Amino acid sequence: MSGSVGKSVPRLDAEPKVRGEAVYGVDFELTGTLYAALVLSPVPSGRIIGIDTSAAAAQAGVRAVVTAEDAPDLRSGLALDDEPLFASDTVHYEGEPIAAVVADSLKAARRAVSDVIVNIEESPPVASLEAALTEGAPLVHENWETFAPVPGLPEWPRQGNVVGEMTADPGGVDEAFAGADHIVEDVFVADRQYQAYLEPKSATAIYEEDRYTIHVSHQYPWNVRSRTARALGVNPSRIRVIGHHMGGGFGARLDVGLEPYAALLARLVRAPVKLVFDRSEDLLTCNSRENAIIRIRSGVMNDGRIVAREFLCDMDCGAYATDTVFLISIPIFLAGSVYEVPSTRVVARAVYTNTTPTGAFRGVSGTYLNFALERHTDNLANTIAMDRREFRIRNLMDDGHRMLNGQILTDAGIMRTAFAEVEAVAPWADMGKGPNRGVGMAATLWLTNPAPGQVTLKLDVDGTLGVITGASEIGTGAVAMGVRQIAADELGIDPRDVIVTMPDTDVQGHDGGAQGSRTTHIVGRAVREAGTGLREQVVRAGARLLGELPDDVEIGDGHVSVKGEWNRRVTLAEVATQALYDVGPLVASGSYATPTPKYDPDTAVGLLFPTFPTPTYHVHIAEVEVDPDTGLVTVLRYVVVQEVGKAITPEGVIGQIQGGVAQGIGYALYEGLQIGEDGRYRQRTLEAYRVPIALDVPRVEAVLLEHPDEEGPHGAKGAAEPPIVPVAAAIGNAIADATGGAINRIPITPEDVLDALAENRED
Amino acid sequence: MEFRTVGSIEEALACLADVGDEAQVVAGGTDVMIQHMRREINPSLFLYIGNLCEMEGLTKNGSHAIGALTTHRHLATDPLVVAAFPALAEAASTVGSWQTQEVGTLGGNLCNASPAADTVAPLLIADAQVELRRASGVRRLPLDEFLLGRRSTARLPDELLTAVTARPPGERCGETYLKLGRRSAMEVAIAGLAVRLTFDAVGNVESAKVAACAVAPRAYRAVEAESVLEGSRLEEGTVAEAGRALVDSATPIDDARASASYRRHVLPGLLVRAVATCRERAVEQR
Ligand SMILES: Cc1cc2nc3c(=O)[nH]c(=O)nc-3n(C[C@H](O)[C@H](O)[C@H](O)COP(=O)(O)OP(=O)(O)OC[C@H]3O[C@@H](n4cnc5c(N)ncnc54)[C@H](O)[C@@H]3O)c2cc1C
Repeated sequence: MSGSVGKSVPRLDAEPKVRGEAVYGVDFELTGTLYAALVLSPVPSGRIIGIDTSAAAAQAGVRAVVTAEDAPDLRSGLALDDEPLFASDTVHYEGEPIAAVVADSLKAARRAVSDVIVNIEESPPVASLEAALTEGAPLVHENWETFAPVPGLPEWPRQGNVVGEMTADPGGVDEAFAGADHIVEDVFVADRQYQAYLEPKSATAIYEEDRYTIHVSHQYPWNVRSRTARALGVNPSRIRVIGHHMGGGFGARLDVGLEPYAALLARLVRAPVKLVFDRSEDLLTCNSRENAIIRIRSGVMNDGRIVAREFLCDMDCGAYATDTVFLISIPIFLAGSVYEVPSTRVVARAVYTNTTPTGAFRGVSGTYLNFALERHTDNLANTIAMDRREFRIRNLMDDGHRMLNGQILTDAGIMRTAFAEVEAVAPWADMGKGPNRGVGMAATLWLTNPAPGQVTLKLDVDGTLGVITGASEIGTGAVAMGVRQIAADELGIDPRDVIVTMPDTDVQGHDGGAQGSRTTHIVGRAVREAGTGLREQVVRAGARLLGELPDDVEIGDGHVSVKGEWNRRVTLAEVATQALYDVGPLVASGSYATPTPKYDPDTAVGLLFPTFPTPTYHVHIAEVEVDPDTGLVTVLRYVVVQEVGKAITPEGVIGQIQGGVAQGIGYALYEGLQIGEDGRYRQRTLEAYRVPIALDVPRVEAVLLEHPDEEGPHGAKGAAEPPIVPVAAAIGNAIADATGGAINRIPITPEDVLDALAENRED
Repeated sequence: MEFRTVGSIEEALACLADVGDEAQVVAGGTDVMIQHMRREINPSLFLYIGNLCEMEGLTKNGSHAIGALTTHRHLATDPLVVAAFPALAEAASTVGSWQTQEVGTLGGNLCNASPAADTVAPLLIADAQVELRRASGVRRLPLDEFLLGRRSTARLPDELLTAVTARPPGERCGETYLKLGRRSAMEVAIAGLAVRLTFDAVGNVESAKVAACAVAPRAYRAVEAESVLEGSRLEEGTVAEAGRALVDSATPIDDARASASYRRHVLPGLLVRAVATCRERAVEQR
């Protein structure tokens, strides 16, 4: 058997998921479960004068009404310990939990929620980035100075509503600007984006033997463990997290959600407690992609060289720091890469507002950063009247490119290959021709998350291979296909004969979660480490069975055979069975974490996330048509060239590209979670918050560039996260080309398109 | 709260005569169930009429009558409907998704009286009348009078909407319905426009009917635009003038889907497209 890596394989979890048989987190039930619902703040900002729980507690079927008084007096967070479980004296966003009700049924719990009387003295909310950053603006947290970074993280610059500031100023930037032929300045604004996964958030917990067991559908069970432990003030080993099938996450299930509440309530009522959000609660409280404002200024020469750049970015954290405060590092990796810009200054800030805390979403901050950079790149080319593609090629980085953090991209020249591949599939000169049509390009690099992973392989007596791993299958197929294929190839068996566990923090070693395209790369590599150990044992046991020396036998095709004698062989089942009583079960483990790339820590202040490991390279091109009467945009053609290291499952990678582009089209043209002046979301249901549907998305053409990575299993790098990153930029550039006007906002609405057309007519 | 199923129109009318005030009729339930879930309504009785098959489909009995329980999917795909009322069939084919169309009914769409209801404008250009029955009798009302405003109709609590009668386009006549939404389906109209043009033997517009939805509290006939078009040969300037009249007649609002000014802006362009389609269809028909 020639191995399954590099081939598309059947996906075993597909059928139960399509049939509706798979048990997701929201479906999971324990015997005797009670149901909980949260009392969420109806206002974005105010002082809690009193909470009267008596009427709710008196309702039939209600077991407990819980407030901050019943919870540990602690604040915790992913980066900064600023968030309590329940608001006690002030509320900081609409939807902030104030109390919880536990009842015999979900219906009774929800009904009783409306009987909890919360008396809040409202205050005007800090509803926007502009408002939060105004001189003398009210502080979202008066006591911000008392918040401490989580243990292990150094302090970083923060002040008042600015919860984090990252500055990279190498010096000489102003002088470089002074020598430029032209200076171009742009401002870009991006709205929030809701992850809009199919399965709303939920958690079911039980408290037994002084330990909490939490059933979840979560991207990162080990983070649930540590975050719940810190929220409750107990050791992580007191928490056990068990994963179930997951209906998508896109980053929204990386930090904890309902899990600490379910755990606390289960202890307080001494019964299993299930907490599940309805869609509206989910949307209003979800850690959506942050809104942001980007100011970018570059100096360019008449010959096409970019010589200086200043990149300023403000990101809206919402009411708590969550993981958005980490993201202020990302601009440093993008603002000075793809194109050579010798002199670049970057300042990025994360800002508190009285709005729902934001957080990770596929392509974290990269989507709007790339939009700003690549829209700006078009503007630079247009300023010196150079063709936009030629301008890009002129400034493209090459092998050995030094990023602003000092990290060296040894293979950056792949970007040139990617541009050439795009040209081969979709020649620039042929795209976007005809009235109301336009073409746009965007290029980016992206990282593969380096977080550690661990795998144990066991050869079963029937010749199947067990993969015991804490990796989570988020839906990409990274576990269901990729990890399974890599494991199968270790013993030359059919991937269908590989059985993979669901995450259970009591059982497996730490896993860094389904994030940043890491699973195939990291867990796959851990499989290979474990495979080396297991193969050695199998060879020894097989040799013994065959009466040969280990050096004279080999593994292949589900057998151990004598080298050169094809007909002298034993099955893996026979080997495992015999070994059981000779040497014990055949089991081996492997661990892996990406080594931190070399970088220069002195290049920036406030860099919480200092490197961009295992980078991949991406070029997208979009052709659009705009309707001059309605401003509607049709994406006619969309081509992606993506460097993947090695495609373990080509169909899986192509599916992720199709999905990432669809989600990017949603971000660019349809979605957008807007915050009113009152600090509330304007879109509060999926009727108002509109994700694109199949008819709105073209069939995406994908070209996979294989360029095996030294560290990755079979050369694989991350692949699933980045296809969303350049989409808004490519489409924005195409629309700007079609209309001849400025496109500076995400989402790009039909009204923006009509404005751009009108602007062009006026010129 | 009670959920009652009836087996005949008479049974339904008797029930409404009895407790019409507290009852909410349920046909496909695609509006009612959502309103109930959102706690916008809380009736003591849901009266399910979805089994009354005598209220389904198109009948030609002198006039054309469409049963109130006819589903959107039926309207969109039944060759008889498509031939008799092309604009209505087009409108029905844009309602939500196939799933919504499979259960949502014409009667529900009219009685719910959403400003964006897709079937209203194509029925207004067909001079539709609604048939309202109660235990004690039946009355017919022009659709234009039945619709009072946003979510408001002339239906009395004990009345059932049983059928809609309408006039199909005649000779040298073409009609169409254009719906503008941001997505390609599963979309509530940002603006909708139904136009029916009848031409005389030499190609002048003999009669023009224009109805717009989602740009006012209820769908309405844009009579000023109609009179601009009538007698014309659809010269560019005339259609533009009719477009301006159409804009003047609209009273749109800002909402999360679009601004009022956007809604006004798109109407003339939609009218240009609609009249072109009407002309093509009138020619094809000959
Ligand atoms: C996902 C989704 C998408 C949708 N998209 C669209 C769209 O694109 N365009 C659009 O126009 N609508 C849309 N709708 C709204 C809805 O589907 C339509 O209005 C549909 O026609 C309602 O019909 P129904 O039979 O489901 O009505 P129901 O919900 O059963 O009833 C609606 C109202 O009419 C009353 N009623 C119903 N039948 C009668 C009767 N015979 N006599 C008296 N009163 C009656 C009910 O009491 C209620 O007040 C959508 C709904 C959903 C859920």
